[in-house]
Amino acid sequence: MKHPFFVFGLMATTAIATAAQADKLDEIISSGTLRCAVVLDFPPMGSRDADNNPIGFDVDYCNDLAAALGVTAEIVETPFPERIPALMSGRVDVGVASTSDTLERAKTVGMSIPYFAFEMVVSANDKSGIKTFDDMKGKVVGATAGTYEAIALEEQVKAWGGGEFRPYQTQSDVFLALSQGQIDATVSTSTVAQANVKSGNFPGISVGGVAPFDTDYVALFTNREEYGMINYLNLFINQQVRTGRYDELFQKWIGGELPNLTVDSVYR
Amino acid sequence: MLNYTFHWNQALKALPQMLEGALVTLQIAGLSMAIGLACAIALTLFRLSENRLLRGIAAVWVETARNTPALFQIYMAHFGLGSFGIHLSPFTALLAGIAFNNAGYLAENFRGALKAIPETQTRAARSLGMTPFQAFRLIVVPQMLRIAFLPITNQMVWAILMTSLGVTVGMNMDLAGVTQELNARSFRTFEFFGIAAVIFYLLTKSVTLAARAIAWRMFRY
Repeated sequence: MKHPFFVFGLMATTAIATAAQADKLDEIISSGTLRCAVVLDFPPMGSRDADNNPIGFDVDYCNDLAAALGVTAEIVETPFPERIPALMSGRVDVGVASTSDTLERAKTVGMSIPYFAFEMVVSANDKSGIKTFDDMKGKVVGATAGTYEAIALEEQVKAWGGGEFRPYQTQSDVFLALSQGQIDATVSTSTVAQANVKSGNFPGISVGGVAPFDTDYVALFTNREEYGMINYLNLFINQQVRTGRYDELFQKWIGGELPNLTVDSVYR
Repeated sequence: MLNYTFHWNQALKALPQMLEGALVTLQIAGLSMAIGLACAIALTLFRLSENRLLRGIAAVWVETARNTPALFQIYMAHFGLGSFGIHLSPFTALLAGIAFNNAGYLAENFRGALKAIPETQTRAARSLGMTPFQAFRLIVVPQMLRIAFLPITNQMVWAILMTSLGVTVGMNMDLAGVTQELNARSFRTFEFFGIAAVIFYLLTKSVTLAARAIAWRMFRY
């Protein structure tokens, strides 16, 4: 290093190169906006109020995350099947979209620790006489395409070897089809089932027994390589639980016994 | 900027499943064309008829089929009829929706083709002693088919592409349905949609090329 000028040049280049490699966390903070993919067809996690404003658990969760980052939140309505294209094409920064953290999906996106957990229940058309999960054998059933319960239910229908499975594009289409009797039963998260039955938009349906699927842990997601962001999301979820905000939001939107977000006998 | 690494080897494992879906897509498109052609001929005759009611039915059908989105027509076949207690399975609803759409467009093609045949030909045929039906069947229809043939193949291409709307009514056996499902499982959107696009292209291109070959054999006179 005989030439101080050269050393200075090298340092300057390094500094510029480092600055150019700002990660997602930096980008969000400097842009001042956090763009969240939220499914607004999934009450009470995400829906619209009478004035067409987005509301729900996921919407509040995104607002909390934006507040923690010191930026403004932008809710980007994203149907279930379009969550990943929205992230990959850079239209959103993070998904707050009740996304099940399957290993298959983790090959594509980076999942945080679970921020919510769902129990699955059967909802049936009253005329079908279906009360429990096993009653669904041989019947026409449906669920929202691309969800955890749709994948599990379709496999179950194949295992039963009779009946028919129909994936619909939105949760409301599933309940519309159920209400019309196009399908006999569906499996959905208990929160959604109760919200839809209560809404009165879908007459002639009721909530039946619990579906024997594993608890559906859902995670926030962002780009797979954004470790800084994923790290922040993990800590954020931890803080939401620790500060009691998770409980507060749960009681506001769902009510009842708070789902446990940890799994026994194993880390994470 | 797209920050995404393609996993083609994983996606290509699903190719047999997707090709099975493509077969269902071809079936639906083929059936919808057969039904559509039959309905279109009926609609064309309705339009030529003296009966006001028949003309009215044909007009409403053609107007609706041509001036509303195919998505709406398919959705109505499933959820619209469903609210009146008429339950069509996703397969039937998709088939009915596309056939309805095909019939509307084809009827319009036939009308154009009929207009292109001078009326003097019918008169000449009649003066040779043919009955009105003979004149229509032997003189007008063959020429009409020649003029309408390429528009018909065009509609076949549309029918293949329209099957992708089946996902809105819970269809999961056709190419678009299979693709959506693979995508939901793995989130490898770009691979699966890319493969589906190539399959769709090959399907429609083969239809176009086959149609040209057939036209070359049949309509050389």
